Amino acid sequence: MSEKTERTSGFSKFINNNNTVGYIFAFPFIFGFICFSLIPIVTSFYYSFTDYSMGSKSVTYVGFKNFIQLFSDDVFIKSLGVTLKYVLLSVPLKLAFALLVAYVLTRKSGMVTLYRSLYYVPSLVGGSVAVALVWKQLFARKGLINVVLADMGLKTVNWFGDQKLALYPLILMTVWQFGSSMIIFAAGLKEIPTTYYEAARIDGANGRQTFTNITLPCLSPIILYNLVMQTIQAFMSFTQAFVITQGGPNNGTLLYALNVYNQAFKYNHMGYACAMSWFMLVIMSLITLIIFKSSKFWVFQEGGED
Amino acid sequence: MKKRFLATILTAAMALSLTACAGTTAEAPAAAEPAAKEAEAETSEAEAEEVTEETEETEAATEGEPITLRMAWWGSQTRHDITVEVIEMYEKENPNVNIEYEFYDFDSYFTKLKTLVASDQVWDIFQLGGNFPEYLDKIYYMNEFIDSGVVDTSGISDAYLKITQDTEGNQIGLSNGLNTYGIAYDVDMFKEAGVPLPTDDWTWDDFEAAALKISEHTGNFGSSGFTSSEFIAGCSTYIAQQGEVGEYGFFNIDLDGMGFEDPQMLTPYIEMRANLISSGASPDAGAEMEITDIENDFLVTGEAAMTWVAVNQFPTIYDICAEEGRTLALATVPRIKNDGPSGTVIQSSQMLCVSQDSQYKEEAAKFISWFQNSVDCNNVLKGERGIPINDAVREALEAEATDGQKAMYDYVTLVGTFETPEKINVLSPAGQDEVVDNYRNYIQQVVAGDITAAEAADKTYADAQNLFE
Repeated sequence: MSEKTERTSGFSKFINNNNTVGYIFAFPFIFGFICFSLIPIVTSFYYSFTDYSMGSKSVTYVGFKNFIQLFSDDVFIKSLGVTLKYVLLSVPLKLAFALLVAYVLTRKSGMVTLYRSLYYVPSLVGGSVAVALVWKQLFARKGLINVVLADMGLKTVNWFGDQKLALYPLILMTVWQFGSSMIIFAAGLKEIPTTYYEAARIDGANGRQTFTNITLPCLSPIILYNLVMQTIQAFMSFTQAFVITQGGPNNGTLLYALNVYNQAFKYNHMGYACAMSWFMLVIMSLITLIIFKSSKFWVFQEGGED
Repeated sequence: MKKRFLATILTAAMALSLTACAGTTAEAPAAAEPAAKEAEAETSEAEAEEVTEETEETEAATEGEPITLRMAWWGSQTRHDITVEVIEMYEKENPNVNIEYEFYDFDSYFTKLKTLVASDQVWDIFQLGGNFPEYLDKIYYMNEFIDSGVVDTSGISDAYLKITQDTEGNQIGLSNGLNTYGIAYDVDMFKEAGVPLPTDDWTWDDFEAAALKISEHTGNFGSSGFTSSEFIAGCSTYIAQQGEVGEYGFFNIDLDGMGFEDPQMLTPYIEMRANLISSGASPDAGAEMEITDIENDFLVTGEAAMTWVAVNQFPTIYDICAEEGRTLALATVPRIKNDGPSGTVIQSSQMLCVSQDSQYKEEAAKFISWFQNSVDCNNVLKGERGIPINDAVREALEAEATDGQKAMYDYVTLVGTFETPEKINVLSPAGQDEVVDNYRNYIQQVVAGDITAAEAADKTYADAQNLFE
């Protein structure tokens, strides 16, 4: 009898232990992370050194051949260029837009919450296939944009027929989804002590001066965070290119992720696609590193320790 | 300092997890459309597995055991509707059989198929075309079912069985129908522009002139959609039209090398394609993106005078246009010289195959047999996949053919009279998709003036040659 109570108390001690409780609650995440992130990451690393394709089951080790092949692959180099252009244009525009809207919406008014929610809506639906299809129709040869242009007596634009133009509607769609950055900016703006603004106003600073000398420096850590997040997200963009242009014309909108997808699932070069993904990781790490390194020149540390 | 370090680490960790998340969402759209169906199929598959465990010993013997077959195909909305209808018919006749179906457009179908091949879960009954060599490992030959009588081939002539056999005589599948390529055109648009109607021996020069003139006169495209079938129907046929009948082919007969040596043989064709696009007589890449399947092709929407078709598609678009009071007709694929080889052959449109992964191969074969041989079934299908191979079915359909179908039958008969080489191979080697995508990009580069047509021909040839190294 006494032995039994001891055992139950042992079990209940185990189950009520802080660590056990923690692990149990963390289990769904740990499980998901291992199965859907860690294992695929490790296998893709292995496959990147093989000629694995989904059609044939054979896996032959080919060493660094896939990685070397990347540099002689015209389509790959073009898609890398397209992706860089896409990231360089879409991220700053998106952040600028998000900051602008967040700044405008800081004033105290009952409608602010409503407006903020409205501006957030595109971010909720923006990643979906449906919106991409709508975008495709908007910019089609006889789509709304061209109809409006024609009505105003302007020349219509063949958006998706010209490889120099086709990327811009995609960039615009990304910029349009500025909601999540906007919310973070809005929260950051609230954190800036109003005393700074009051002091500046007493000193006679105008709106532009307070913005560049108070708002921007105080917000810079948040800008850094948004910049890193959005850059990474922009590198991973897939839906727009896949649904709207399928990479065309002449690979002018072949974003990196779409190229990886094509190689893996359309052309049956899974090993090569894995190598591309790992190469992308290197590029993204480098860019993130550069952003972090550069941050000490422009991110303002409040109460700075130096 | 320490605090900042920690913050950096945390941001980095977040960035990494975000990357991982984005990775998963990135793949979602591809599967998004048929996701619901897929989920459905997966549950049924789980059910099917349970059932098999119970009945494994008595699999074939027990008639009444409920079984679930999975089936998939690609095509247009018309095909989806009629195929679902005949599946329901079959389920009614065979109450123990439940068929879970999935349908896709052409590209998504093969993307899905590739993932299923990788996970050994290919549908019990699946549709394949001339690109089947890539999936040979997953095909269960039908020979034993034909020998045992499960598959009835009494109404199918040997010649039509042969079109879906490999060189060793293995029955890879049963053909869904006979097919060949042609050009569908709007008769009135030709007349309006004062362009003579195509003859049976018209040439590429006639074709180009007609397209240019029509686009000049009517403002419409002269020729529309050079989509998925253009590479085979146009580019590859163009090679077969040179020299003597059967002298050249894009690939060789054994499909292990090229069927011609001089890349420049492609140049005139590529030049014509680029010329049509840059003069606005043919849609550019952006406009082409707007065509999702044959039913919204520019010919059907009234914005083009001609389009490429696999002739089994013709009755569908004929009917759509007839409702709007427009008349379509079929013309042969143009030739290089009036009296030169036609380069076109009659082939199998697609076939239904039994999968190696199937738990119920015999039941799957039984369904395929019914699908190809039953007159009732084909009265619904109406040759939408091609002209049926079963003699009785073909006669029954021909007897009550609509105008569009009559045009299709006449056209196939006409192409049948063209001189064809003794040995032909209409299959595509594995990896052709990439060659075709690059080929289309080269044409766009020619249009943009980045490269010349001769360079595009060289590049296309080099890409194709790479398949065999």
